[in-house]
Amino acid sequence: MELDAARSIFLSREDLIKILGDVPVGFIKRSDPPQPRRPTFKKMGVLVEIQDIVEAKEPQKAFKNRTNDQSYSCAECRKILPTAHLLDLHITEQHDFYFAASVDRGDKPMFSCFLEECSEKFQSPRKRKDHCIVVHKFPANYRFDQGKDKPKEKRHPKKQLSHSMDVDDDAGSSDTKDLPNVKAFTFGHHTLRTFNSKKDRKSGDTLEDIQSMKDAINDILD
Amino acid sequence: MSSQPVPSAENAVLRDKIRGYAAEHRKEGRTQAKDSLRLGLGQIKDEFAAQDNLSEKDVHGLASRIKRRKHATSEDLFRLALAFLQGIENINAFAAIPGALQVLIKELTGSDIQKQIDSAECLCNLSLGEGHVAEKISSLAGSYMVTYLDGKEGRLKRSCLWTLANILATSEKAAQQLLQMQLVPKLWKLYAGEGASAGFQEDAGICLHLISTHAAHHVSGEDREYIAYHLFSMRPEDPGSEYLMYIIHQLEIVELHHGLETQQAECLVNFFVASLGSQAESLPVSYGVRVVANLMAFNNPALIGVLADDNIFVPALNKLFALRDPRLNMDLMRMLRNYLNLNLLDSNLVLDRLQVYA
Repeated sequence: MELDAARSIFLSREDLIKILGDVPVGFIKRSDPPQPRRPTFKKMGVLVEIQDIVEAKEPQKAFKNRTNDQSYSCAECRKILPTAHLLDLHITEQHDFYFAASVDRGDKPMFSCFLEECSEKFQSPRKRKDHCIVVHKFPANYRFDQGKDKPKEKRHPKKQLSHSMDVDDDAGSSDTKDLPNVKAFTFGHHTLRTFNSKKDRKSGDTLEDIQSMKDAINDILD
Repeated sequence: MSSQPVPSAENAVLRDKIRGYAAEHRKEGRTQAKDSLRLGLGQIKDEFAAQDNLSEKDVHGLASRIKRRKHATSEDLFRLALAFLQGIENINAFAAIPGALQVLIKELTGSDIQKQIDSAECLCNLSLGEGHVAEKISSLAGSYMVTYLDGKEGRLKRSCLWTLANILATSEKAAQQLLQMQLVPKLWKLYAGEGASAGFQEDAGICLHLISTHAAHHVSGEDREYIAYHLFSMRPEDPGSEYLMYIIHQLEIVELHHGLETQQAECLVNFFVASLGSQAESLPVSYGVRVVANLMAFNNPALIGVLADDNIFVPALNKLFALRDPRLNMDLMRMLRNYLNLNLLDSNLVLDRLQVYA
């Protein structure tokens, strides 16, 4: 009896087969009716607590610690950046000699996009900037742009370097005559543990050497 | 001889339950404390009568002051945030002043973290405005807010998420701009990525559901692929998990050209099975049925995980038919049709065990 009652409540196999005959197979698209209930959302602001403003006015000691904890800072130049990716870009582009050498060589794009999720690389900071403006709708004056300071930094030290070397040459002739040739004191290990950057200053000589080496190799091959 | 009682297994279970309850209680308290700070436009006038009433004139004064000084103090930002909460006319007045928003952005991107937070909260209240205000914020400050989603400062990140949610709910054009800034992968990382933390899952989920509702057709193929490849297991009790199936369905992640990997599909199926105890009207159930039905439409039994077993599928279906929701029943029939089309076993065996109310 109970079994029969239950059967009368539920649809039979034949009924189900009949219903299923009218049901299409395949994907249910997002526009297919009947649309289920959508989640609701109400725009909300935030009530800023005055306590926070008071705390902000208090001595900067606690704040400094907080800054260090809550952001990414470069160990080399103390520059603070908001994300690990931007810090990574900064360190690579500003403090990595190998990266600078690769850029100078110019055989492959080296400058990564400011967005970590974008895998594109560019030949120059300028091209990266254009990409960010056009593709990612970044503002033209994006404040975490690593590339814009670089040309200034690069140009000026080089200029200063060339001037200082000129000065050294002029003044050096009189100064070095008066002073004994004193080497820098090192007391143990030498502090400079990078590639010798002095070669850059004599880049002209180096190029000549390479050229002469090439000539020599060509002579041998001939 | 030791006189200390040996802890029994029952005691350990009880302790675990008490710890779990206390943790849940703490979490609830924190959520309530955070939510209590959030107000709708104009709500402050009704609920906080003691607060200063700031007019358009005050907003003009504050905007001129910050423009003249080219920076804003925390107090300026506090007063502006308060003014924006009080009414749309204050928001429109500020948005109409050229160069005023740039000062807020300058503070947002400065080196002082407290000022960054203050300006983000100020922008959050400004985003309560209409479409043109949302578009202005997204074009000038969107890239920074998206950048800060990867940052360490929690409050700043949360304020950015709140602002982004308001913008996404207001203007499709602004939403489209934000999507070009790779907003979807960043939100997905916070929502369901490997490093997702409980603090931001809910807010990131809200932003993703708003994208799915208002700007789904602007979401790029790459963004959809990103979601498909980064689907990790989620539990129904996780914050913001109620949006998961809605997002997956609205963004058509299952129907992608390459389809889902077995592992990712399994995550969705397990989530669906775990959320079967919910109401028919609940988002995980109503959209979960559609997502699972679409997984079945691939005709690949490997994609439906545990549901390939009729001893799990039939009781699950009976449970859902027992909810007697006519809207849900239509989707359940589609699911059943797709299941039978898989030809896993004799369809009569399945149909005989089904309990569909007449």
